[in-house]
Amino acid sequence: MIEFLALTGLAAATLRVAAPLLLASLGETIAERGGMLNLGLQGAMLVGAFSGFMGAYFAGSLWIGLISAIIGGILTTLLFGILVINLDLDQVVSGLAINLLASGLTLYFTRVLFTGGVSPYLGELFGPMPIPFLCNMPVLGEVLFTQTGFVYLGLVSVPLIYVLLTKTSFGLRLRSIGEDPVIASYLGINVVKMRYAALLAEGILAGLAGGLLTISMFNTFDPRIVAARGFVAVSIVILGRWNPWGALAGSLLFGFTEALSLRIGIIFPELSGASINQLFALLPYLVALVALVVGGRGVRGPASLGKRIGRER
Amino acid sequence: MVERQLTISRGTKRSIVKALLSVVLTLAVTSVVFLINNVNPILAFIYMFQGAFGDINLASETMIRMTPILIVSLGLAVSFKCKIWNIGAEGQLYIGAMLGTIAAIGIGGGPLSLLAALVVGAVGGLLWAAGPALMKVKLGINEVITTFLMNFVGIYLVQWMISYPFRSPDTYFPESSAIPSSSALAVILPGTRLHLGVALALALVPLVYFLLERTTFGYKVKVVGENPEAARYGGMEIGKVIFVSLVFSGLLAGLAGITEVMGIQFRVRGSLSPGYGYTGIVVALLGNNNPIGVALASLFLAAIMNGSSTLAWTMNIPMGIVDLMQGLLFIFVLASEPLVRFLERRGVLKL
Amino acid sequence: MAITPLSSPFFEKREVNSTPQNEEYAIFLKNISKTFPNGTVANQDVTLGILRGEVHAILGENGAGKTTLMRIISGILKPDKGEIFIDGKPVKIRDPRDASRLGIGMVHQHFTLIPEFTVRENIALVLATSPWLDLKKVDEKIAAVSKDMGLEIDPESKIESLPVGKRQLVEILRLLCQDVRILILDEPTSVLTPIEVDSFFKMIMNLKSSGKTVVLITHKMKEALQISDRITVLRGGRVIRTIPTSDANEALLASLVVEGMLPAPTLVRGTPGDIILKVESLKVKDDRGRIAVDGLNLTVRSGEIVGIAGVAGNGQKELVEAITGLRKVESGAVKLLSQDITNKPTRFIIEKGISYIPEDRMHRGVVLTMGVHENLALKCIEKPPMSKSKIIDRRSMVKNAESLISKFSIKASDPCTSVENLSGGNIQKLIVARELSNGGLVLIAEQPTAGLDIKASEAVHQKLVELRSMGVGILLVSSDLDEIMKLSDRICVIFGGKIVGEFMPENLDVERLSRLMLGAD
Repeated sequence: MIEFLALTGLAAATLRVAAPLLLASLGETIAERGGMLNLGLQGAMLVGAFSGFMGAYFAGSLWIGLISAIIGGILTTLLFGILVINLDLDQVVSGLAINLLASGLTLYFTRVLFTGGVSPYLGELFGPMPIPFLCNMPVLGEVLFTQTGFVYLGLVSVPLIYVLLTKTSFGLRLRSIGEDPVIASYLGINVVKMRYAALLAEGILAGLAGGLLTISMFNTFDPRIVAARGFVAVSIVILGRWNPWGALAGSLLFGFTEALSLRIGIIFPELSGASINQLFALLPYLVALVALVVGGRGVRGPASLGKRIGRER
Repeated sequence: MVERQLTISRGTKRSIVKALLSVVLTLAVTSVVFLINNVNPILAFIYMFQGAFGDINLASETMIRMTPILIVSLGLAVSFKCKIWNIGAEGQLYIGAMLGTIAAIGIGGGPLSLLAALVVGAVGGLLWAAGPALMKVKLGINEVITTFLMNFVGIYLVQWMISYPFRSPDTYFPESSAIPSSSALAVILPGTRLHLGVALALALVPLVYFLLERTTFGYKVKVVGENPEAARYGGMEIGKVIFVSLVFSGLLAGLAGITEVMGIQFRVRGSLSPGYGYTGIVVALLGNNNPIGVALASLFLAAIMNGSSTLAWTMNIPMGIVDLMQGLLFIFVLASEPLVRFLERRGVLKL
Repeated sequence: MAITPLSSPFFEKREVNSTPQNEEYAIFLKNISKTFPNGTVANQDVTLGILRGEVHAILGENGAGKTTLMRIISGILKPDKGEIFIDGKPVKIRDPRDASRLGIGMVHQHFTLIPEFTVRENIALVLATSPWLDLKKVDEKIAAVSKDMGLEIDPESKIESLPVGKRQLVEILRLLCQDVRILILDEPTSVLTPIEVDSFFKMIMNLKSSGKTVVLITHKMKEALQISDRITVLRGGRVIRTIPTSDANEALLASLVVEGMLPAPTLVRGTPGDIILKVESLKVKDDRGRIAVDGLNLTVRSGEIVGIAGVAGNGQKELVEAITGLRKVESGAVKLLSQDITNKPTRFIIEKGISYIPEDRMHRGVVLTMGVHENLALKCIEKPPMSKSKIIDRRSMVKNAESLISKFSIKASDPCTSVENLSGGNIQKLIVARELSNGGLVLIAEQPTAGLDIKASEAVHQKLVELRSMGVGILLVSSDLDEIMKLSDRICVIFGGKIVGEFMPENLDVERLSRLMLGAD
């Protein structure tokens, strides 16, 4: 019975820690379908986490934190847009630049605002919102219906984004740009506008993904708070074959690994002992690498992914 | 013909202008940040300069700071020239430092121990890069993602190693045992901490320059980086070139890590590198992947790092300013290409 | 090339009223000029009227400015100067959407279909106005238009699975679904066999009789004479003359298209020797893993030019890549003299003596950002004198470049200048120079004159013939049948990855050749 409860807890924790990965990888899926490999996702999450915390801390309202997280995410992806859409710079390098700038900005201002560079804790955070009636179901009630709003949002976004990409004119246009922006612009599709729209969507989702770390999960800000989640989310997009449902599956896999590495001592008491526990911290990244080796070989993404558009003629 | 080789080509001139432009823009934006913090930017930059080069001691500290940055970024320059974006130098550096330290302690003291440490450290970095290199070449998996993930695996692994199996018995914090003092890199300027590692780093500059500009490997790196399709058509084994350039950057990252241990830190700590692996990326790009440019750029970044610690206690500007300036520098180095093109079109610049 | 400018275009007297405001003109261009950022003058002061309901041929050699002009009309490029009138009214065409709103549509030489999409998705892409995709409405439109024009295209099929000729029809179908009134077709027959051309022309007549205006860009005089109502000749970016087709003939057109006729080259046939290259039941897959070369047999003798005729996409590309080691051979063999070179590394094959002029010269043939001297050393960098024990000898590289630049009259400011500073024709000369100086046994020339003007093409042809007389075996792969017929000592027809027929030039049957190219017979 104890083991069973631990497993239910594990499943619930899986969803909880999968949420930032899911939101971020959904955003990246939209951007990559439009032909943009945005490695600055990591930076957008970091800025989202930072601005979310600052909004919540200084305004004293989690909702303002939420909004400022979204704004932070959007500003970061739009900066990426200026680099790769307007200036037509290399997508990979631009993404790296965004990441470094984001970490510089957040590190600096955290140290300016808080002595010792350590942020205080928030008084409150976005906790679980049990869904009436459904939360009383055995097992599923705890796993699925006693989660934070971010989890619900992520889960609901999956079918919505799937429909957006496959059943709407916007999705068709976006995919055409991802395959061949030059042809798409010949056909009169406004590549610049579409790509910015995709980045806007990604910015919202990445901002939320980052924000939830500070205003729902850890209730403090640390410049290292995102760890490698942005890059894990990019791997998830590849493993999920640029499909929102695939992103969900991938996020759950990594959420599970992370939850497992955090709770390994609870589930397998005989394995507990600090020396092993610390080693488990690297498990999610190792799993990401192994998953890329197993599932990432020879997959073909959108044809123009990562390529520069080039100029007239 | 000899004359033509001596005159600076248009491309070189352009990249110098681009680098200067990005430095100026970075300083300009940083000035604004200073002003927001109620600090006189001119005074701040003077303090920074004094902190970096104010006296022989400070100058040698800056040279010490430059050493790992220069070694890392020379390696990155080679892989970037091949358009292979190794952002895993940080992890490669830590692994190299750890393995090299184990070798140094294992062998005991003396020059042999030093030599073994340097070799093992470099090879350790190489091996840590070999995984992503294989994944890139054999499976076509984006090296940016894999090298970055490997950072986390590597750093957590080293954290664990210095916390448990290789923890020093006589300290409270998790850190490795110290290397034997007889195997440390010798101090070359008495009265300072300036060690032989600086000479090693500087000696690598002409070597890497020669590798890139005068060997068939350097030629192939350029062709593969600029146009892999043409490289294939020309009969080059692209995979091999990519593999070698990526593990070469790992090799130098590992060497940087162990040099830092053998020259200045004498043991592996969690704080061994304040992000040299990431700084190296900015330095390589600022130096336009040219070893001479990279050397100047790494001196510049080292000066900012050391200068900013003076700034921290004189003007209460937090150390994070370094990271901010690095980020800005990266963005402006990128944007300098379209900017220079724009200025040329407007006739402001003539190159 | 010196151009004698004609101050104003010549219009026949029978034309009613050649003012832009005349509503009988579907399109009227007035003083259009366009110069590219790199300094190329593509159009200069072009004035031209296209009457409603006519088939109007724009004739000129490569580089005459035909495509640029049409891209201006279809909103892809902006003119530096000049005005456009549609139905007598001045308009601004800022982007392809504007053009499409005005009823103008263009079929480009490089198709503008998304290969990964189905026919339906491609058409939905341009029709979609509502946020929700209404595929049923798209299907209805496709069905209606297809019925009108007698086209048979399955809307479910993916573009990448369709043959080239069919893709062109999809392009036209898509324009018709957009209710386009003016169709601009850029070299539409270059992807068709002679037989397909006939049925294609029937379709153009259909379009005309249903009231559409058709502008046909071509460099083939015969086509212009056969199908058009009027012909405008462009040369060096200027309008030389517009004439009714009934008043034109080949001699007149030729004198307008090219200034100062080139002496017709006298080509002697080669004297083939022993077999040097032998391809035996070769099977090769394409990028998507489908069999593209399917049990192909082929021989090339020394001192012989073998022309491979075929519609693009029938395995030519994969055949060439398999021989040069750039693509894996599934089964079968490639033999050079007596040596098996199947699936050997490219470098080995290069060193054994196979040279290769690739079709995609910008992406495969050169490294644009590197110097001329470095590009000329691309295939011999590992060998002395370019390098000794892996150390490069820069001086030899420059010396080699200087000698090839003068021998092949490549126009380059100095031997170390970046290749991106060279014109397209000179880049091709550079590649030819490199491949010819390798001293190979076999040369594979893939579309060696595509995109070159007549003079540059002629120079390349002369070099190929010269090389043949030195005993080199040449495999000429070209979609330009005229080129194949002009140079080949033997013509092999490729279809569906097989050689389906062989002709000697003296008993060439063009009718049968086209049927073979289409897989009939």
